[in-house]
Amino acid sequence: MESPATQNVLIVGVGGQGVLLASDILGTVCLGRGYQVKKSEVHGMAKRGGVVYSHVRYGTQVLSPTIEPGTSDVLLAFEPAEALRWSKYVKPTGTVIVNTQKRIPPAACQDRRPDALTRYPRGIEQALRSQIEDVRRFDAETLAFELGDLRMCNTVLLGALSRVCEFSAEEWLAAIEKSVKPRTAELNRRAFLAGRSVEFPCAEEPQAEELVFEKREAARDEAPFIEIRQNWCKGCEICVRVCPQNCLVMNGSKLAEVAKAETCIRCMLCEWLCPDLAVSVH
Amino acid sequence: MEKMTKPVQLLQGNAACARAAIAAGCRFYGGYPISPSSEIAETMAKLLPRVGGKFIQMEDEIASLAAVIGASLAGMKAMTATSGPGFSLMQEHIGFACYTEVPCVVVDVMRGGPSTGLPTSPSQADVMQARWGTHGDHPAIALCASSPGEVYELTVRAFNLAERLRTPVILLLDEVVAHMYEKVDLGRLAGLPVEDRRKPKGAPGKLEAYAAGEDGVPAMAPFGEGYRYHVTGLAHDSRGYPTQDPAVVETTQRRLQRKVDRCRKEIVSYELLQCEDAEVIVFAYGIVAAAARQAVRQARQRGIRAGLFRAITLWPFPGEELAAAVKQAKRIVVAEMNLGQMTGEVERAVGKKKTVKTCLKANGEAITPDEIFSALQAEDACHA
Amino acid sequence: MLDIQKYLRLEMFPHMLCPGCGHGIVLGALLRAIHSLKLSQDEVVVVSGIGCSSRLSGYVDFDTLHTTHGRPLAFATGIKMARPELTVIVITGDGDGLSIGGNHLIHAARRNVGLTCLLLNNEIYGMTGGQAAPTTPLGKISTTGPTGPFETPFDSCRLVEAAGASFVARGITYEPATLEKLIVAAIQNPGFSFLEIISDCPEFFGRFNRMGNPADQILAQKQNVVDAKTAATLPPERLKGKMLTGILHHEPRPEYAASYQESIAQMGAQAR
Ligand code: SF4
Ligand code: SF4
Ligand code: SF4
Repeated sequence: MESPATQNVLIVGVGGQGVLLASDILGTVCLGRGYQVKKSEVHGMAKRGGVVYSHVRYGTQVLSPTIEPGTSDVLLAFEPAEALRWSKYVKPTGTVIVNTQKRIPPAACQDRRPDALTRYPRGIEQALRSQIEDVRRFDAETLAFELGDLRMCNTVLLGALSRVCEFSAEEWLAAIEKSVKPRTAELNRRAFLAGRSVEFPCAEEPQAEELVFEKREAARDEAPFIEIRQNWCKGCEICVRVCPQNCLVMNGSKLAEVAKAETCIRCMLCEWLCPDLAVSVH
Repeated sequence: MEKMTKPVQLLQGNAACARAAIAAGCRFYGGYPISPSSEIAETMAKLLPRVGGKFIQMEDEIASLAAVIGASLAGMKAMTATSGPGFSLMQEHIGFACYTEVPCVVVDVMRGGPSTGLPTSPSQADVMQARWGTHGDHPAIALCASSPGEVYELTVRAFNLAERLRTPVILLLDEVVAHMYEKVDLGRLAGLPVEDRRKPKGAPGKLEAYAAGEDGVPAMAPFGEGYRYHVTGLAHDSRGYPTQDPAVVETTQRRLQRKVDRCRKEIVSYELLQCEDAEVIVFAYGIVAAAARQAVRQARQRGIRAGLFRAITLWPFPGEELAAAVKQAKRIVVAEMNLGQMTGEVERAVGKKKTVKTCLKANGEAITPDEIFSALQAEDACHA
Repeated sequence: MLDIQKYLRLEMFPHMLCPGCGHGIVLGALLRAIHSLKLSQDEVVVVSGIGCSSRLSGYVDFDTLHTTHGRPLAFATGIKMARPELTVIVITGDGDGLSIGGNHLIHAARRNVGLTCLLLNNEIYGMTGGQAAPTTPLGKISTTGPTGPFETPFDSCRLVEAAGASFVARGITYEPATLEKLIVAAIQNPGFSFLEIISDCPEFFGRFNRMGNPADQILAQKQNVVDAKTAATLPPERLKGKMLTGILHHEPRPEYAASYQESIAQMGAQAR
């Protein structure tokens, strides 16, 4: 029997953010307690491409390695859109910790066009709050940047995570020291403590948030227009499969067709990956 | 530079070729060293940069002709030179140049073959390769010189024909002519007319790159000047785009052949020596013609009415001209440094009523006047 | 937003490649790169050899030259020599560029002629129906290697770097934005730039090797590659069987055609 006290932590982000290292560290902390830990993770090859996630389950006895929807105690999201996507895995009474810095997934288009950003999904915060009681949003990336290294973002987030887990700061710090390069141990320690000391709801820059919303409002009028030249399309399905927003479908004649342009985030993947140059996102 | 302008000079055949190329406006040479043609490359390497031209030694003969075609497409008159084995390697690109109609000059200094054969010995074994070496139906133009002075003249002509007709032109030399020194009057030769390719009229814009007028030769736009057209070795339509439409393919094939055929009279050149009353006529070309000339003189001294038909243009074959020249003759002796490659052409031209004899040699030695003389006399062929 | 159609010969579309063929993705990235470099269509020449990838030259509105099998670099060398001011881009495939054209590749690299060579590697001969290529991985099926080849495939990037190319990189079609950046960097390097692009042939390689549909195949690309920067931090066992992507070598040195042009100018000065 699995012990009822088994804890579920879901860590999600996109490629290159350090999701896997963070979950490794959590695993190490658990092992230090003598818990059983099971992890399952996917990186860089999921359908959507570039999405990285790690299920961490720990307790006195853990059987299944994966977390069922609606059962996660904590969701640690390195990216807001990822938070939204995985939110259905979280218990209504659970906690979501979100880094507010946006990345347009997936990793396949790591360098995004500036105008792609304006079509980022709207209302993430509201959506999260409507599902989950405890939503903790903060700008971990800027904190890390202020500490001197953007890459410390994952450790900052672990610091925030430590506030909702049963382990002591010392246990965490020991695990971090074991997992990172000695050169960066001190920086990681500071990053962890910085993340741990963030109070929620934190006084985050509301103007900045509003500003972003303003930009989005402006962009909303010109709904993205996805043009598929049906006479060029050969029905390879690539665009349909890579679209992170499921905007596209294959129609009855096995050609790509736009199903819902309104959710399009202008990631450009469909246009860039169409081998027949049949797609234009305007 | 002053060397180039001294009017009368003792010039080697290969050097004459290089000098003439530059005089004809050649500004690009891509080649690969091979005996007995290397002096052409060496001379070009030295002289081209002085006139703002470019020389490049490529990694092999395939690449050499490729680079030549590339440079020609970019607007430069261009050439390469090689010998038998290298000429074999160039064949695919000769076909490419024919089909894509890119002017260029290929000099083949023939040597004994097949294979590596006799690298420093004369031969005329590539005459059929010059005609049919590349696959597929295509027009061919090949000229053959028999002295350094003529090398100069024919090199200029090769460029003129290539540019006028947008087709590769082959200049056939042999080891003897290539390495022979002779007084060449550059002053006189400097006056040879030089032709340039015809560019499209009007401002750059959408170009039907392979649309040709009456003469069958499309105007040629250099790359990089805004015409933006496609060139492919695939069968293509008048826009240059690939096609498999039999009607279109046929039209292009016929046009390519026709554009050369209709200029046949201007392309074909030959020399007649005492043919008017001759009962026996020697058919020869290249260095063998020099020996034949002596043999004819020798024969005339002995009262034999001999004559010489020296082909200067080998392709298109001067068949009609030969037929006319041998009308009154009974016998024709074909003298060539191979095992009879042109003999079949001669037989076809002169018809079954004439006796065609041969004087052939393919062992690396030049055919001597004596050998031709005995062939003139004999009723039977001389297989020296 | 860029209207890619400006660079296309629209009358030639749809193109002739199979559904899901990765080469079309490269074409898009190339055009975006040319666009972001603000090159005029009149100063770009695209040269290609023979094979599926080499058919791309016919679809773009530049001066384009579709040459013979394996030889595009040699043709392009002539063009670059004649007009050093042109941007000459060579599109070749793994069979075209590494098998029949291998010699031209190493010599173009050695000379450091200012060409940008995009080698589209789909690890098989597509145009002729799926025969083994010099890049077919050990154990992968082709029509001429029905049980998988016994030959070790080329690592083209290492080959070309050793031959002297001043810019060597590898990209994958699955990362079109990165690919575009790599093409930009390749074109910006004045000397010989070599960019191997891992592309897919769903029609043959994918089918023979049971890689699923085109979408499955492109999504799987990531598994086989590691970014060169990341690789530097990984232990060797994590890199086993992986190809490195990104800029692998960049060491500018004098470009051939420009150097030649310069020497001509000097000669002219001396003569005066
Ligand atoms: S439709 Fe295209 S641009 Fe829009 S989200 Fe989907 S893949 Fe991205
Ligand atoms: S990627 Fe292009 S060709 Fe493939 S289904 Fe989509 S639109 Fe059609
Ligand atoms: S055969 Fe392969 S490489 Fe060729 S077009 Fe089809 S999918 Fe592309």
